[in-house]
Amino acid sequence: MIAFSGARSGTAPLTWGQRAIWDAIGRTAPDDRYFNFGRVLEVPRGARPASVAHVSRAVGLLVERHEALRTLVAPGPRQDLRDRGAVEVAIAPERDPEAVLAELCGTAFDYEREWPLRVALVTEGSAAGEEVTHIVLAFCHMAADGLGAERVLRDLRLILLRGGLREGPPPQPLDLAQWQGSAAGRRQAAGAAAHWEREHRRIPPTMFHVASGAAERPPIRRALLTSPAADMAAQRLAVRHGASTSTVLLTAVSAMVAELTGHETVAVLPIVGNRFRHDTRAAVTTLSQEGLFVLDVAEEGFADLLARARPAVLRAYRSGYHDPGDRERVVAEASRDRGVPVHPYCCFNDMRFAERAVYRDEAPIKEALDATRIAWPLSQDRLNCRFCVHVNEGGRISLTADTRWLATADMERFLVELERLLVEAALR
Amino acid sequence: MKERLAELVSESCDGQVSAAEVMAATVPLSYLGVTSLAQMRLIDALEREYGVEIDLGGDVSFLDSLDGLAAWVSAAR
Repeated sequence: MIAFSGARSGTAPLTWGQRAIWDAIGRTAPDDRYFNFGRVLEVPRGARPASVAHVSRAVGLLVERHEALRTLVAPGPRQDLRDRGAVEVAIAPERDPEAVLAELCGTAFDYEREWPLRVALVTEGSAAGEEVTHIVLAFCHMAADGLGAERVLRDLRLILLRGGLREGPPPQPLDLAQWQGSAAGRRQAAGAAAHWEREHRRIPPTMFHVASGAAERPPIRRALLTSPAADMAAQRLAVRHGASTSTVLLTAVSAMVAELTGHETVAVLPIVGNRFRHDTRAAVTTLSQEGLFVLDVAEEGFADLLARARPAVLRAYRSGYHDPGDRERVVAEASRDRGVPVHPYCCFNDMRFAERAVYRDEAPIKEALDATRIAWPLSQDRLNCRFCVHVNEGGRISLTADTRWLATADMERFLVELERLLVEAALR
Repeated sequence: MKERLAELVSESCDGQVSAAEVMAATVPLSYLGVTSLAQMRLIDALEREYGVEIDLGGDVSFLDSLDGLAAWVSAAR
């Protein structure tokens, strides 16, 4: 156990980001372990050999520094920051860190009672000369998102190397909740809500509206495309057109959704990091929320589509920082007025942390096509969406879809055609 | 004002594009690597520094050049 003693305790309403995840968890339970994720930190050379006691102390300092890591969910729901407690630590001698991580992530968190961080230390050597080689951290998504976890890792690394952090305290979820409830926060919320409302009055009610007739059991499947060629093509397009690879991929996905569904107006919910503001950038909390990206797709070249996508991406990013309560309200109103439930059920999550676009030559892109693979790594019962695209490093693009609305054959076709679209546009 | 704006652009890209490069740019800033994420940070910086509010529903091409930014800020203040 690692005891911690933080500077303050308190309760507050959930932040917008916490509320968004909380709602998603509620819709996904009992499969809500889906939202667990983690990181493995190899103990940096400068901190080795590191004893269990030394690493435990560092983890304690980390939990004291970032209030999200000692915040529970109280009835209401409200965030419930505790100042004291003890985090359980598993010792995993000579184990594979990734396997340990999979175990830590394997069960849903007990949100009201369990600390939102699970910790295991992988060790090697005898009991006398035992040394920690890897720190395995599993996060409850209520406490952090991917970028928040990166911040945790950065801080933990520095604490291990230097014994502490000299920087002042980072932004905390309790303070974010306070800003979000202020006049300035409500102005941001109102601007975002206006976007959600305007677009929900014109987008197709949903993107995948025709039953596939080919539901699998269980119905949720994931297809994973590994395509270095698509990755390089996206980079070439990004450099050529002065866009990010993320915008290139979101645009390409939208074009393919138009092709699969026949819709001329495509609505996609990109997961927005919401770290644009000075008061959110360094925060360890869950800030990511869905934004609303709407693109009218016509018969045109990719370059023209991309040019129109760029301002739409900015609007989508700003709409990501919204009050989920407002969104629920304006969507319900639009649905009532149109006489049909409106929800795209189509999302896009670029999980990469850095933008590294290099102008790639034609030949390596063509050669890389031989390395393209498709795998089917996941199946489950429930998902609060019909069509979720995840982008990871190395050209790994997955589609998790509800086969009641999109057959597995069409899932595969989507990924194959997405690669083709990117490569053809890049080589044009 | 242009020097200050160039600094804000550079900070928005975590320094990956320098203020000098922004000052000397002859192509749209996005071609230097000012991505949409950097533009969002720039919008936050402009709104705080100059007390303006940027409507993304309108034409936002001014974000893509230093001259455009300077003209927009002057008009908005």
